Amino acid sequence: MAIIKAVKTPALPAPLSETSVIGWMKNNLFSSVFNGLLTIATLYIVYIAVKGLWTWGLVDAVWVAENRRECFSINPDGACWAGIFAWVDNIFYGRYPREELWRINLGILSLFIWMIPLWLPRVKAKISIGLTTVFLYPFLAGYLFSGGDKGIFMQIMLTAAIVCLAGNTIHATIGVFTGRSLPEFLSSLFGKKKIHEKTQRNIFLGIIALSFVLIYVWQMSWSLGGVSWTKWGGLFLTFVVSGIGIASALPGGIILALGRRSNLPVARVLSTSFIELFRSVPLITVLFMATTMFPLFMPEGFVLNKLVQVIIAVCLFNACYMAETVRGGLQTIPKGQFEGGHTIGLGYWQTMGLIIMPQALKRMIPNIVGNFISLLKDTTLVSIIGLFDVLTMLRAIGKDRTWLGLHLEPLVFGALLFFLLCFAMSKYSRHLEVKLSTNHNN
Amino acid sequence: MAVSDNNKEYVHIKPKEQFDFFHDERVRSVFYQFLIAAAVGWFVWYLASNTAQNLEARGMHTGFRFLKVAAGFDSSFKLISNEPGVGTYGRIFIIGVLNTLYISALAIILSTILGFFIGVLRLSNNWLVAKVALAYVEIFRNTPVLIQIIFWYIGVFSLLPKVKNSIDLSGGAGVLLLNNRGLYMSWPIPGDLLWLTGVTIIIAVIAVVILRRWAQNRQDKTGQIFPTFIVSAALLIFLPGIVYFMTGMPIDWDIPKLEGFNFVGGASLPPSFMALLFALIIYHASYMAEMVRAGILSVDKGQDEAARSIGLRKKRSMSLVIIPQAMPAIIPPMISNWMSTIKNSSLAIAIGYPDLVSLFMQTSLNQAGYAVELVGMTMAFYMFVSLTISWLLNIYNKRVQLVER
Repeated sequence: MAIIKAVKTPALPAPLSETSVIGWMKNNLFSSVFNGLLTIATLYIVYIAVKGLWTWGLVDAVWVAENRRECFSINPDGACWAGIFAWVDNIFYGRYPREELWRINLGILSLFIWMIPLWLPRVKAKISIGLTTVFLYPFLAGYLFSGGDKGIFMQIMLTAAIVCLAGNTIHATIGVFTGRSLPEFLSSLFGKKKIHEKTQRNIFLGIIALSFVLIYVWQMSWSLGGVSWTKWGGLFLTFVVSGIGIASALPGGIILALGRRSNLPVARVLSTSFIELFRSVPLITVLFMATTMFPLFMPEGFVLNKLVQVIIAVCLFNACYMAETVRGGLQTIPKGQFEGGHTIGLGYWQTMGLIIMPQALKRMIPNIVGNFISLLKDTTLVSIIGLFDVLTMLRAIGKDRTWLGLHLEPLVFGALLFFLLCFAMSKYSRHLEVKLSTNHNN
Repeated sequence: MAVSDNNKEYVHIKPKEQFDFFHDERVRSVFYQFLIAAAVGWFVWYLASNTAQNLEARGMHTGFRFLKVAAGFDSSFKLISNEPGVGTYGRIFIIGVLNTLYISALAIILSTILGFFIGVLRLSNNWLVAKVALAYVEIFRNTPVLIQIIFWYIGVFSLLPKVKNSIDLSGGAGVLLLNNRGLYMSWPIPGDLLWLTGVTIIIAVIAVVILRRWAQNRQDKTGQIFPTFIVSAALLIFLPGIVYFMTGMPIDWDIPKLEGFNFVGGASLPPSFMALLFALIIYHASYMAEMVRAGILSVDKGQDEAARSIGLRKKRSMSLVIIPQAMPAIIPPMISNWMSTIKNSSLAIAIGYPDLVSLFMQTSLNQAGYAVELVGMTMAFYMFVSLTISWLLNIYNKRVQLVER
């Protein structure tokens, strides 16, 4: 006789051996004798390594001291972080005049203010914000960092940058609170009166022009003292070089990649050989070439300073690497997308800009960020040819009289610094990849 | 009548071939190409003429005659002999090339092995091991290799004990010594009858190849598995070993001896070499590990399951099914990793290992001038290596594609 239950029997909980910590450990750490031995051996190695680092870097470390001798007398076995603290300004700003450090801080702060709207979900017109960051921010930052006399061109660009920064900020604030863009908000200020679209635009342009004139007059009233590029250094210089490299690598890479895939044989051959030339040699040889050959390339009487030479070299080098990344991304786009673009009557540049590139760039994000990371890491090479970047400053600590011989701690600190930057970038790219993914399969 | 009417109806009207000069695709493409070529050509000519002018203004010489001029300096580490003041710049170039290739070859081999190992650990079903491997990869991939090189040099190999208190890595035998001047090891000096052992090694290798073919054939026919690994290992070790002992051990060892303040005899590697080698191995192994992991993960899970279901054990499934299929995905990035190992070996300049860049682009450039030639030759060497490697890679890719169909 079959017994039929009218009520569904509740499922039993999984056995404890599967869900508990012990069960997890049995499955993941001690699934076999060999695995168990492996776990114990690894545990031991990890214990030794972590304990060594812990006692050296934290427990036995000296945090406050006047000089290295004092560090030794307090605890000879631990790290002497006091030296790093004493040099922290040098590590971050190099030999930049100490009373002018606010300029660097202001420059970095304004970059943040400029770029924060890109992360705010309700703000509109993010592409224009991004473009102004790339094209106008460098003038603001450049003047803040180097100072000196403003030429007429610099005055105009500086004013434009300030107007744009102010406009961006207002636009972003309005966007966050109302979800509207700045022009929409302005026109809504005039109430229910229906104003012709053209008039609206004129009013908007008028406001911009007015603020431009006002700021232009205002900026003529002050100027900053000049700081020679030889005073630039530390992490600041590293950021300047890699920042310019990053900003120019993507457009340069896209142009080179399009050239390499072009139907025009001349463009193809030239871009291919340019890309292969720079990709097959080490960056350090390109930097040496820049410092020894660029002076020969220039017409007589025209001198490029070393920083500019290095930046040009870094840009060329990274554009070529980026070109290969972009090419890889373009190859993943099926041919039908090109044909589709042509069918609806788009020309080459329209197909590329509106259909191919947006898809390709999205797919390339991990590789692009990977490129940026390696660019940031490679920037340390400029220390070899005598710029005072963060690595030079770190190595200089051990040559300083008060901290003579303090070599290891600065290097560990530098490694940690770069690790944090690069690790954060790679994690963020992973997040971006998931966020932008339109792939509904998974 | 009707027929002629029909004929009239089907008269083809030829469409007028409109040749619009300015909107023709071919004309435009020729025009654009001409524009590009002219712009690039003008730019190159401009740079070249400036360079010529500048060289003349500074009274600098050009040409490759300097290669036959004696260089006034010597390399601190070299694989071929050189006399300072007699050896030419050409010889310095060769020394640099050999030094670069030597350290790159060692770094490539060892980093590939270590990378494979860590890549497999990364996929281990042991949680702890996998996490430790992940930590290794993340730590070493996310710090600049230059900092790592300097760290190994200053933080490890320069802090070793002095010559008198050398660390004996061979456990008291005094044949492998490590101190702050480098690694000292005994070096074999071949005796008279050593060639016999050499011949035996070749015979053993041939025997192993034949044995493997035979075993494979037998397995295909009868299904019986022959323990090839043990037998071939035994062949390779014992056959030359017996001959070596029978001929009276014809190798003398040049053992490093402490004389004065330094070791004399044997072979030695400077600390800069060791530091660069360690840094390159560890840095590139972390990239290698990720490639191996990605390659293995790219093989469909069903492959492993199928292999397991026909009775292959985990290890056999890995070596017979998974790895062979993962190889086409691993090899191209692996080779570009090798390429970047060669390129990164140029960072030797930061710690004073005399590689090509440091000998040729720095020291020679400072001493002899000839900027254009020296920079050109150095870059040409790296380009030659890279083009050779990518050519080999292309051949490999074609073969793999053929197999795949």
